[in-house]
Amino acid sequence: MGQFIVNGIITGILYSLLAIGFALVYNTTKLFHIVAAAIYVFAAFMFYLFAVIFGLPVMVAALVSILLTMGLSLLTDVSVYRPLKKRKSSNNVAMIASIGMMTVIINLIAMLFGNETKVIDNTIHRTFALGGLIITTPQMWQLVAGSVVLVLFLLFIGLSSWGARLRSLSADSVLDETLGDSTSSTRSMVFLMSGAFIAIASCLTVYDIGLDPSMGMNMLFNAMVAMIIGGVGRFGTCVLGGITLGVLQALTAWQFSSNWQNAVTFVLLLLLLFLRPQGIAGYKQRTV
Amino acid sequence: MEYLLHIGIMLSIYVILVLSTNLTVGMANLLTLCQAAFYGIGAYIGTFFLMQFNLPFVLIALIVMVATGLTSILISYASVKLKGDYFILATLGFQMVVYTILYNWIDVTRGPYGIPGIPSIKLFGIWSLSSIYAYFILAVVVAVLVAWLFSRMQRSPYGRILKAIRTDELSAQSLGRNTNKLKRWAFFLSAAFAGVAGLIYASYVSYIDPTSFTLDESIFIITALFIGGIGSRVWGPIVGAVVVVLLPELLRFVGLPDAIAANLRQVIYGLVLIVLMFVRPQGLLGDAKI
Repeated sequence: MGQFIVNGIITGILYSLLAIGFALVYNTTKLFHIVAAAIYVFAAFMFYLFAVIFGLPVMVAALVSILLTMGLSLLTDVSVYRPLKKRKSSNNVAMIASIGMMTVIINLIAMLFGNETKVIDNTIHRTFALGGLIITTPQMWQLVAGSVVLVLFLLFIGLSSWGARLRSLSADSVLDETLGDSTSSTRSMVFLMSGAFIAIASCLTVYDIGLDPSMGMNMLFNAMVAMIIGGVGRFGTCVLGGITLGVLQALTAWQFSSNWQNAVTFVLLLLLLFLRPQGIAGYKQRTV
Repeated sequence: MEYLLHIGIMLSIYVILVLSTNLTVGMANLLTLCQAAFYGIGAYIGTFFLMQFNLPFVLIALIVMVATGLTSILISYASVKLKGDYFILATLGFQMVVYTILYNWIDVTRGPYGIPGIPSIKLFGIWSLSSIYAYFILAVVVAVLVAWLFSRMQRSPYGRILKAIRTDELSAQSLGRNTNKLKRWAFFLSAAFAGVAGLIYASYVSYIDPTSFTLDESIFIITALFIGGIGSRVWGPIVGAVVVVLLPELLRFVGLPDAIAANLRQVIYGLVLIVLMFVRPQGLLGDAKI
């Protein structure tokens, strides 16, 4: 059981990373950023392209993938979301456009790389044994790199002036602009960072389990649920929700079968929406 | 000729699906991403009754409608009172869970192997529909019937209340309408009609497996709806269904390799969706704001 909980926490960290990538956009712009699923797939395939096809070292490939993904993330905002906002389109319109972008990106990737599953590194990984628990090398990476990034981010958001600008943008974008902040530069930063988080989550995951063009939505769904059960509106809650979800799923896999993880996630989501729509540690919002 | 009839049957099925989606998205202002789940539930429940019992079509269709509608309650009670994004997320989750169940509950659904040899529909318990002509006529008749029903519904008191909710939910509430209940009914009916489409599909193709009822299929249906147009006009969804069913057939004549054609089609739909959101978010013939 200890093993399952450790695995759950590691999966939870991956969910948290993606959840923050989604929440950065969702909390500040209220956009239902569904194209994040495609951005996640894009990051994975860029990682694959540079690490396997071009044969660069894994770290370099991951870095290139993160940079490119940040670019794509910003592109989705500049090319679609901002023009739509300028036309005063509703958030539902933006979401449908987001679905459109997701379809385009995922299918372009599938056309270029094919639909079958690929692996980054198919050697047998060295494992670490920690008092009866077994952790593989990719899991070690996920645990260490993931937690470091999460902690740094939470400190950065909490302490820097940029974190304050982000919060003011999410509270009231019009007022924020009136008070002299450049909302568009804050917004660009939000999308760049969101892309970075999605890419980090993606690279850490696919290094372990491989990649295919249709994997994005499932992962994003888990991340969105993690965000909601943690509590919408803040970022630390994403980690809380992500780890809760990861552990619960791991326990499901232990008791029943890993096939039913999605079902557990959904039941959890419904229960939460019923009983406590603001999430475990969220505060009530006017829009909900 | 059989090719044309096949397209006609698929077109009728999609007309039913897109019309049923318009009831939630266009009329009740509930943006759902789980229509393919109800389509699938209808197909599997219909298959069960077709294989186990020798019942006339109308009876099976009614059973499927009620059963599929009942499954919609599972999600509508929790989610209809939620606004906007949470509702979309709940429907997205429902879609993924239904797929998970269809795929993994192998004892009942045979999972990825699918169910082959689904018997054909018996019109009055004796008259077995065997030829493609008969299916064509049945599918078109049902589609026209559904379209007629929906156009009647727009003008009925129920349709008018939905329109009021769509325009201004608070005002409708202040006039004493139980808007959540009305929305749950819209969800129920929408699921029920999607179920009928599933029934016709299952017995026509005579083989079903979970891959026909994925999130991509839901997105495909939504795309069709937004191309045609959301709102109170019945012609919008019909035009949308015609476009998405005929476009791949046209692409087929261009002579692209099959492996690329499927993805390319999706890319085109995605681009169309984005462009529409800029130019005409309510769709070609739509009259509702989203």
